[in-house]
Amino acid sequence: MQQQDQHGLSEYVDIRYLDPATARFSETPGGFVRLVIGEEESYPRVALYRAFPFSFPDRYISVRDMDGNEIGMIKDLNEFDEKTAKLILRELERRYFTPVITQIESIKEEFGYAYWDVRTDAGPRRFTVRDMQSNVILLSPEHVLIIDVDGNRYEIPDYHKLDARSRKYIEDLL
Amino acid sequence: MDRLDSPPKELVVTCRSLGISESDLVAFVAGDLDDAGRYGEVWFALTSEELLVCKAHDPTRERAAFAAGNSDGLYNIERIPLDQIDEITTENLVGNGFLVVTVSGEPRRVCQFTNSQARKFGIFAKVAEKARKGEPVREEDFSDGRPAPFCPRCGRLYPEPERAICPHCMDKRALTLRILSFFAGYKAHIAAVIFLMLAGAGLNLVSPYLGGRVLFDEVLNPGGRYEGRVFEAVVLMALFNLASIGISIMHARINAHMTAHVIAGLKTQVFSAMQRLSMGFFTRKQTGGLMTRVNADADQLQYFFHDGVPYFIVNSLQIVGIVTAMLLLNWRLALLVLVPIPLLVWFMNKAFPRLWRLFSRRWRALRSLNAVVNDALTGIRVVKAFGKERQEIERFGRRNQRVYDVSLQTGYFTSTFFPFLGLLMHSGGWIVWGVGGWHVLEGEITFGTLMTFINYLGMLYGPLEFMTHIVDWWTACINSAHRIFEILDTAPEVAEKPDPVRLQPMQGEIELRNVTFEYEPNKPVLKNVSFHVRPGEMIGLVGHSGAGKSTITNVICRFYDVQEGAVLIDGVDVRDVAVADLRSQIGIVPQETFLFTGTIAENIAYGRPGATMEEIIQAAKAANAHDFIIKLPDGYETVVGVRGQDLSGGEKQRIAIARAILHNPKILILDEATASLDTQTERQIQEALKRLVQGRTTIAIAHRLSTLRDADRLIVIEEGKVVEMGTHEELEALQGVYYRLREKQREALAIRGVAAG
Repeated sequence: MQQQDQHGLSEYVDIRYLDPATARFSETPGGFVRLVIGEEESYPRVALYRAFPFSFPDRYISVRDMDGNEIGMIKDLNEFDEKTAKLILRELERRYFTPVITQIESIKEEFGYAYWDVRTDAGPRRFTVRDMQSNVILLSPEHVLIIDVDGNRYEIPDYHKLDARSRKYIEDLL
Repeated sequence: MDRLDSPPKELVVTCRSLGISESDLVAFVAGDLDDAGRYGEVWFALTSEELLVCKAHDPTRERAAFAAGNSDGLYNIERIPLDQIDEITTENLVGNGFLVVTVSGEPRRVCQFTNSQARKFGIFAKVAEKARKGEPVREEDFSDGRPAPFCPRCGRLYPEPERAICPHCMDKRALTLRILSFFAGYKAHIAAVIFLMLAGAGLNLVSPYLGGRVLFDEVLNPGGRYEGRVFEAVVLMALFNLASIGISIMHARINAHMTAHVIAGLKTQVFSAMQRLSMGFFTRKQTGGLMTRVNADADQLQYFFHDGVPYFIVNSLQIVGIVTAMLLLNWRLALLVLVPIPLLVWFMNKAFPRLWRLFSRRWRALRSLNAVVNDALTGIRVVKAFGKERQEIERFGRRNQRVYDVSLQTGYFTSTFFPFLGLLMHSGGWIVWGVGGWHVLEGEITFGTLMTFINYLGMLYGPLEFMTHIVDWWTACINSAHRIFEILDTAPEVAEKPDPVRLQPMQGEIELRNVTFEYEPNKPVLKNVSFHVRPGEMIGLVGHSGAGKSTITNVICRFYDVQEGAVLIDGVDVRDVAVADLRSQIGIVPQETFLFTGTIAENIAYGRPGATMEEIIQAAKAANAHDFIIKLPDGYETVVGVRGQDLSGGEKQRIAIARAILHNPKILILDEATASLDTQTERQIQEALKRLVQGRTTIAIAHRLSTLRDADRLIVIEEGKVVEMGTHEELEALQGVYYRLREKQREALAIRGVAAG
């Protein structure tokens, strides 16, 4: 009885890791990702989710069909060949669009709202942050996440590595 | 016609070369990310026949080319005929979204855009779908009923997208005048205060003169006009001091009375404004913070008017008075003395903000330390159960270290800053002593004049320091005032029509007609929902959590207005019904019962304040609540609520039911009323509910399908749509969604049975 229960439970908690040998990801003509597993299973389009977007951006990736059911997980992208890893990483970066701030030109605070003027790896950008206390988030002692009024996200993986002026802007906020 | 964005000139020219004139464009939208996921420009143009995707690789280069008169091939334009397109949609992701066009069965990602553009693209996709189906595109299709999220004057985003207030363009003068208008009823008070301040400042100016020139030159100096009359001089000085203190007490008292009165009135105004607002205002993000800040904001205004404004006036007068007096006494010495002042002001302007920043940093560090203490102590059971005391101590240690670091920084800074500030201040004194002393020896000025100067100089620093932070203070005050005005000025979205339909009495017939509703743009929670409920019928709403069941009850109560379709009660659109009639005849028993601070009797009678004691007891009896209430030491007069007696979930629930019974609504909504209760309690409450639903139209939401046994009909909701409707038997026979839900619950119950055994 006990054993049977255990078995029943494992059905729910066991993670199905996708095997690089059988799971084949490819790009659709429309720019999405298709997945074929072995001979039988085929998904014309899959969605990819990160379980740990900040700590493990290329590990523990949930692969789901378009109805949101989990097909399986990718344990580590490095297990897959370079082309596949690149394809998946690009798709993930599209879903979790979070430009990295490389330099802070200025942060002007006006009436409790902050207008940021920054350079990011996706180009220069101006954005507005309200309530800096809760929208500038220290994820770890050095990793900063910023969420603007529209819900756009920006990150600074290690603010200590910014130039002195930019760093001072962040330090004054934290 | 509004076409979302206006196309750049270059593109219009390019389109023209393709045989598309500006008037052919149905909609036009600009995206802000290029194919590589960098900020860039992509345009989409929609005509009645095709979708044009216009990509420019290097906008600056191409603008330059255009300026040079070369308009050919500036854009890489792709033309997709609409009749080849199966669907145009947007997909919302994290921090961005896609425009997806399905061409001949193949979905294609044609563009990525940041969240800032999501709304615009949502509308574009909707319009494009209409154009694709050949439906006429109308003006109202270009709006999702929400105001533009940016300021029309400066183009800046509104910090709060739902509120059209641009902090950059808002009229600070108007705000100031509006704050001052609160004091309009106190003209006599204000006149008195100002008069007293002037008098006080004048007296203040005289004191150093008495203590310097008069005392040293005329009293203590041999040959002075009042030589030797020390006693009179001291008495005179004391009298002046007393008078000055008396005056400041008087104006402070008048002022305190006036500001306290104004702020108390303001708080009442704000609170009544908040009560008037619609549910949407309260559930919207960030408003929680806004609400809790309101009291702090009112206090901020009070401090500013109580301390800030009077000191500002007094200090300004003082500075002007002192400088004038010094110039009159000896203008050359005065100018010399004032030399270090600009340096001092510059230094204070530079250093004080840094000091405030350090203080606020320390405050934040302390707050986060307190959060750990609070966590660990409220969760002490969990901490102990998992044996994680050590871990909590470490967590505390880390935060404590941060407090230590910041405190140390602050300490270091202040221990250098204040001596240095003192030094700068003294430097003015050295000049006076040095130059003045020399002048005294030369006989150019008297010793008394020198002493007067020293005294005046000492009186100058305080006001100067005050002036360095009055601007920040004023800014903070305006900011607070602004938030308060926002609440005062927010019009309730769910407003009553000027000439509403009275539904007294209500029959209790409900109809939802093609209702589409979204809390946030492009995220519809209800999609084309239609159903009809007869008066007196009991309907069970069934579905997974998040399917939209509670939202349905929200729109029936008209906590929110629907975007499309209509909710009808007794055949009348709820938007036309008098809000009072709606509220008085719709009752809700929610899952989380809220009891106000007050007695049980008051809580039961909340919906009908004039109820007699008999009626209250009857309602409690019907709700199976009478027995437990009687057993309480204070009976019906037991104080409950935030600071009152702790009741169990089931007991609170029964009080809520009694409240609904006494309220006696025609339409009753039971929102998971029994979800959090054990079986025994649930049975009692089921009984109570059975009595409650008699003769009313009831809409019950329940997770446990077994609790909907008595429902006449069940409506199954999935992802915001009605998927099945019918009696329990009909749905069972259908073997569809409802059947599967029931199967799942049976399984879950079986598992629980095993676990319990």
